[in-house]
Amino acid sequence: MKKGGLEVDKSTIVCRCEEITVADIENAVAQGAQTFDDVKRLTRSGMGLCQGKTCRTVISELIAQIRGESVAAIPVPHMRMPLRAIPIGILADHFSGGSAMQSLLAESKPDEGQES
Amino acid sequence: MRRDYETIIVGGGVIGSGIAYHLSEVQTEGILVIDKEFPLNGTSGSTQGWVWVQSKTPSWYGELSMFSAELYEYLPRKIGDIEYTRTGGIDPFFTAEERDRALRLAESQSQAGIEMHVLDRDETLALEPALSPKIFGSIHSNLDGTVNPMRLVEQYMRAAKKNGVIYEYANPVINIEKKQGEFIVTAKAGTFSCKKLVLSAGVWTCELGKLLGINIPVYPVRGQIIITEPLAPLLKHTLSSMRQTCNGEILIGYTKETAGFDRRTTLDVIEETANFGAKIVPALAEAKMVRTFAGLRVMPQDEFPIIGGVPGIENLFIAALHSGFTLSPLVGTILTELITEGETSIPIDRCNIARFA
Repeated sequence: MKKGGLEVDKSTIVCRCEEITVADIENAVAQGAQTFDDVKRLTRSGMGLCQGKTCRTVISELIAQIRGESVAAIPVPHMRMPLRAIPIGILADHFSGGSAMQSLLAESKPDEGQES
Repeated sequence: MRRDYETIIVGGGVIGSGIAYHLSEVQTEGILVIDKEFPLNGTSGSTQGWVWVQSKTPSWYGELSMFSAELYEYLPRKIGDIEYTRTGGIDPFFTAEERDRALRLAESQSQAGIEMHVLDRDETLALEPALSPKIFGSIHSNLDGTVNPMRLVEQYMRAAKKNGVIYEYANPVINIEKKQGEFIVTAKAGTFSCKKLVLSAGVWTCELGKLLGINIPVYPVRGQIIITEPLAPLLKHTLSSMRQTCNGEILIGYTKETAGFDRRTTLDVIEETANFGAKIVPALAEAKMVRTFAGLRVMPQDEFPIIGGVPGIENLFIAALHSGFTLSPLVGTILTELITEGETSIPIDRCNIARFA
């Protein structure tokens, strides 16, 4: 694999959090992955602690190179909160609104007296 | 150029790929799966991946879920590791009233052969020490478990391709016509024809139905989920609304919102989810969340699966349902029977789309 004029070894790690290599990315693209998110779901690259902040650009470049496209053609992945890891307790303490949370038990409808 | 197939499956998520794989065990030629993006971009890639049986009611629906959970025991031997674990499921509750409700549920489910037990606080904490000592009790069932959703769909795809299935990615279907006993499927890049057509595109199945003039009443329901950093093993079971993956992350969330096709996460629902998570597992308050995500779940109008043929349109099949991960091996198996033999080994009359007519 040629990258920026340099030979990149297939065993080079591109996602440090999940230890995903150039070969893993090539494999995912060979399976049909076309975007950073596609590759992420197949390899876990970008799912680690840094949430793709380290590997996103490198992997997008690799996808573009393997597919023979320009980097600009590779869609930018979604960024979602929190942008930096935060303790769950910080959010849990602040809530005082209505309820979208569901209870599985409350949803169940035991058969009682109905035909089953 | 038009390409001819025996069977085309529109939608390559857990249901479409599950059908493709199971069908390819029997029919080794002429199967095409066509997906508007890469599979896992939609609902199948944004779920916790529970294989959940205990609270599925009425009992005929619970029974379908149980049969499918049983098929999961064999699936990895056929398609490879999918990180399926029968962890057992625990649904904690907080009041005596909820316990009465749980007892009624356990009674009616047990009559249908779905074994589950109502436990008191101490029994529950003995099984799952991470739970809050403030719970009143729980329902426990050994039938429940989890699967890695990404791995499952990937392994289905790999196994299906190995059996000769062709995949078309990033190729949305824009028109379908039935002419002289053949379906002509026009997609963004290419036109395909087939004798048998399966619509299994999750929440997008409704739009595909319109192309053939049929009403497939499924709508999207948004669910938001929190993911933590990898944690030391904390949860042994799949809890209602929460599970720990084999990599250590905990996924928290079970929300239902009507938000159309909007897949953003919102702060209010995430706060509520955080609150809930820390309420049932206090140690989570200290855990760091690294990300949130939202997915669109499939919800048929009456919440029960739409599976089977379509009255009046021969060789058209639909599989659009909620709980796709729980039901996938079963749906793959029965759709294969229906497509290749014209009948199924277990009755699926209740799932027929004719009920909405």
